[in-house]
Amino acid sequence: MIPQRPSRNWPLIIVTASFLLAMTWWSGNGIGFSVVEFLCNISGGGRLLAESWPPDFSYLPRLADPFMETLNIAIIGTVIGGILSVPVAVLAARNLTLGRVIWFTDRNFMNVLRTLPDLFWAMLFATAVGFGPVAGALALSVFTIAVISKLWSESLESIDMGLPEAVRAVGGTWLEMLKFGAIPQAMQHYVSYALYAFELNVRASMVLGLVGAGGIGMILETQRANFEYERVAMIVLVVLVAVLIIEEISEAIRKQLA
Amino acid sequence: MSDQRGRIRFIDAGVTYPGGTVGMKDMNLEIEPGEFVVIVGSSGAGKSTLLRAVNGLNRLTSGSVEVDGETVSQREGRELRALRKRVGMIFQDFRLVKRLSVINNVLIGRLAHVPGWRTMFNLWPQHDRDIAIRALERVGIPEKAWVRASTLSGGQQQRVGIARALAQEPAIILADEPVASLDPVTTHQIMRDLVRINRELGITTLVNLHFLDLAREYGKRIIGLKHGELVYDGSAKTVTDEDFRDIYGREFTEDDLLEEQQE
Repeated sequence: MIPQRPSRNWPLIIVTASFLLAMTWWSGNGIGFSVVEFLCNISGGGRLLAESWPPDFSYLPRLADPFMETLNIAIIGTVIGGILSVPVAVLAARNLTLGRVIWFTDRNFMNVLRTLPDLFWAMLFATAVGFGPVAGALALSVFTIAVISKLWSESLESIDMGLPEAVRAVGGTWLEMLKFGAIPQAMQHYVSYALYAFELNVRASMVLGLVGAGGIGMILETQRANFEYERVAMIVLVVLVAVLIIEEISEAIRKQLA
Repeated sequence: MSDQRGRIRFIDAGVTYPGGTVGMKDMNLEIEPGEFVVIVGSSGAGKSTLLRAVNGLNRLTSGSVEVDGETVSQREGRELRALRKRVGMIFQDFRLVKRLSVINNVLIGRLAHVPGWRTMFNLWPQHDRDIAIRALERVGIPEKAWVRASTLSGGQQQRVGIARALAQEPAIILADEPVASLDPVTTHQIMRDLVRINRELGITTLVNLHFLDLAREYGKRIIGLKHGELVYDGSAKTVTDEDFRDIYGREFTEDDLLEEQQE
């Protein structure tokens, strides 16, 4: 005999549901959203879609160079960011860091990186090194550090500290403790997060073009401004396919590692 | 015997953990080079605390521990590493890098002997590789050198753990419940390995055990701990059931004997 099923906490469910409803209502009013208006104007969206169809395949060859640039930006961003995120993540992991002050400083540094959006970094670097792909690559490096270091420092905090202690016990240094004791336990996670960051970077490099940081996004912005929607559709299609392919490849690599 | 390495001395040593738990109290103990000592006591009696004080993994809060006349307790950084280099440790849970090959796990025992820039890039000198291979030969599994550690059985993994300690060319080996995760047959093999290595190489060996019959069978000298204090210190040949009752503070039962676990 299993015990009787405990009764549901109805008051809590009702309060929660009412709260969510009220929040939605309040937000909808705030931005002037109305279901009626939305349904009336949906034809505008339909018109845009109709104008975007079919995608202009004759435009495809001219996308090759900007697309390669996007890929290059994403690769450089992932590699530089991936390398720099290693010390940032390690020092932000409570169990591995080199003292409270360093841990606290690094944590906050990481939080600042993550709080500021990739577009901000793109504008910053575009101002600093000039418009173009280099600014994009630098922006994505920072973005990659933010993504990988946050996720990976949490993986590092959850490792078993027995092995690092064993490395200490043979007389190993802090670096040797990291290399032989800590990092091998979190290596799979690191590769996973780096691949994930790469996917994000390919996607982000579309947006980066909007502020002049190079890549396929710059072409997208120009074509959109000229109302060339069939070309815009072609560009979106290319990025979509690229992201899907990258996802498939990284999924395969992750399976290999497991 | 005074020129031989591997002497351990506790002088009025004590460990009080944050929170007030006493791990060691008024410990006065001298272990001669080359001795094989088994430490017994119920869980929480301070067996691990005692071992871990020898290589400074646990710090004393009073008194001192000396290894070959050098005080462990005040050492930091480079000095502490120089001392740990001479003290090998074997763990209940083996603590191997599972994704690395056996030989690379054994080479970890050479870390303190090889410059840091070399270890960072796995540029192990041939001399050190030879030592690692010899260590594997001594525990009888040289053919496993290139196998991934994760694919080995428990007993084999513990042999790799022993080989890693041997690769340090240590004066002392500390074995913290080395057989607690192994089956009875493997347990006896590992205990025999430890005894043989102690005899062949003269490495001072301290083993924590919780099975009384194992302690009696393999120990030469038995040390009993209770609430962090030394309550028994004598030969394994003369230890009586009465002594064990005093150490454990209760009648001992079948749970305290490995042989009974096999039934």
